[in-house]
Amino acid sequence: MTALPILRRTLRDLSRSLAWWSLGLIGLAAMMIGVYPSVRESPGLEDLAQNYPEALQELFSFGGGFDYASPAGYMGVELFSLMVPLLLIIAAVATGAGAIAGEEDRGTMELLLANPVSRRRIVTEKALAMAAETAVLGAVLWVALSLGVAIIGMEISVWRVGAAVVAAVLLALGFGAIALLTGAVVGRRGAAVGITAALAVAAYLVNSLAGIVDALEPLRPLTPFFHYEDPDPLRHGLAPAHLAVLLAIAVVAAGAAAIAFDRRDTCR
Amino acid sequence: MDAVIDAVELTKRYRGGARGVTGLTLSVTPGEVFGFLGPNGAGKSTTIRMMLDLLRPTSGHVRVLGMDPRRDGVAVRARLGYVPGDLRLYERLTGRQLLRHMAGLRRMRDLGDGEALAARFDLDLDRPIRALSRGNRQKVGIVQAFMHRPDLLVLDEPTSGLDPLMQREFGRLVRETAAGGGTVFLSSHVLSEVQHLADRVALIREGRLELVSGVEELRSRARSRVEVTFADPPPPGAFDDLPGVVETGREGPRVLLRLEGDADALVKRLGGYTVRALDAHEADLEDVFLSRYEEPR
Repeated sequence: MTALPILRRTLRDLSRSLAWWSLGLIGLAAMMIGVYPSVRESPGLEDLAQNYPEALQELFSFGGGFDYASPAGYMGVELFSLMVPLLLIIAAVATGAGAIAGEEDRGTMELLLANPVSRRRIVTEKALAMAAETAVLGAVLWVALSLGVAIIGMEISVWRVGAAVVAAVLLALGFGAIALLTGAVVGRRGAAVGITAALAVAAYLVNSLAGIVDALEPLRPLTPFFHYEDPDPLRHGLAPAHLAVLLAIAVVAAGAAAIAFDRRDTCR
Repeated sequence: MDAVIDAVELTKRYRGGARGVTGLTLSVTPGEVFGFLGPNGAGKSTTIRMMLDLLRPTSGHVRVLGMDPRRDGVAVRARLGYVPGDLRLYERLTGRQLLRHMAGLRRMRDLGDGEALAARFDLDLDRPIRALSRGNRQKVGIVQAFMHRPDLLVLDEPTSGLDPLMQREFGRLVRETAAGGGTVFLSSHVLSEVQHLADRVALIREGRLELVSGVEELRSRARSRVEVTFADPPPPGAFDDLPGVVETGREGPRVLLRLEGDADALVKRLGGYTVRALDAHEADLEDVFLSRYEEPR
């Protein structure tokens, strides 16, 4: 029939969950932007925020630091420091882990592999489907945030918001590809989700706590979160070198997944 | 002609010591229906899954359609149809959507013989697979394996869940396929399922190939059961001197005998008695196999 049947089949299977995820992200954007006007008008909140313990500030800071008053600061703390990457990572990891290991768990891989398609092609098309899904979620989030910004007259460039969304999508793709890789190695979806989640939490904590625990500082560049938030895309836009690192994580992990799956026995 | 399947010393050992397959050598010729028999867990599916490159052999090798399933997997599977032993389908699709997906993966422009086969097996392609019975799911598995008219069909317990009527239809399909030049590798744990279809059968037990034999040859070696009802039963052991005859039991005037080979001597001996009824069951290969299963190793 037409090209990329596995990609199209996977996207069709994802369409319902994609709709729910989109609704969730739109709701999140509406809520966070909706309360901004009241935050802006109560300077006391800013003082309160500045009195947070340092550890909390580090956990929820995004880019340049913990600043609740400016539009970029507010959006960083409320959305891009945790919620947005968390949600996009969950979506990408669910899809990535399900790509190979999910079909093996359900037993449908046997049927898929009876067809004249190579295992590498299966991994490639599934990885592309995951990338497309995450990109769509990013686009939905960006449109929702941009509309909100325009409606309440928030003083931030929608292009800067877009830059942060792009960075978050690439970050999520990295972890999604790692889930794809672990699934391609172990063949069990639950294990792939668990291992990737543990990695993501560890990476997040290392990056966030490095500000107060000096010993962690040298490890920061090893975490994807550093390359996601350090260039502070909400204030400075995209930093190609950091984006390249995020993209490389996704591409290398997906490539390794193709090789790993190609080399082993399939599970039943 | 070159063998369609050629396994040489094919061995699969699983990690953790689970039994696989040891030193399996067999060859399937073009156009034949090859029955692959053995009890559950004997290694039938393991062997088949190596032919499809789902598993990689620990040692030895197998060539399918003259190619290496690992290196030329795509080319091999383009000419092959497969019904997995543990068939799992995409639950959310309808039968037709699943067949379309499979056809897309095979770069077919339509469903090939899919619609006709579904009609033949009385399968409703518009129902979602999750709503189908086990037998109907099995039909989907059969249709997707046959719809592109493959040169080789690898069928792992293909009739499980099918009712007798559909099993018969499936038998006709297998025979038509072979008559059309296709080769069929048919695995089963029940001999009766394949003895009327297969040209040759192989028996695998505990991961080892026990025998490969023509069905006719096996049948001629098989023993038949003869049940004679006498007016006046002869004393026990009256037939023990006849070659190939063993008395296996008695119920009043009925004497049960097992006959191997020629029946002539027995018939002539029976001529000396008043026989009220005579019942001979055709040689059942099941018995041959059962006696092999039961043999202590």
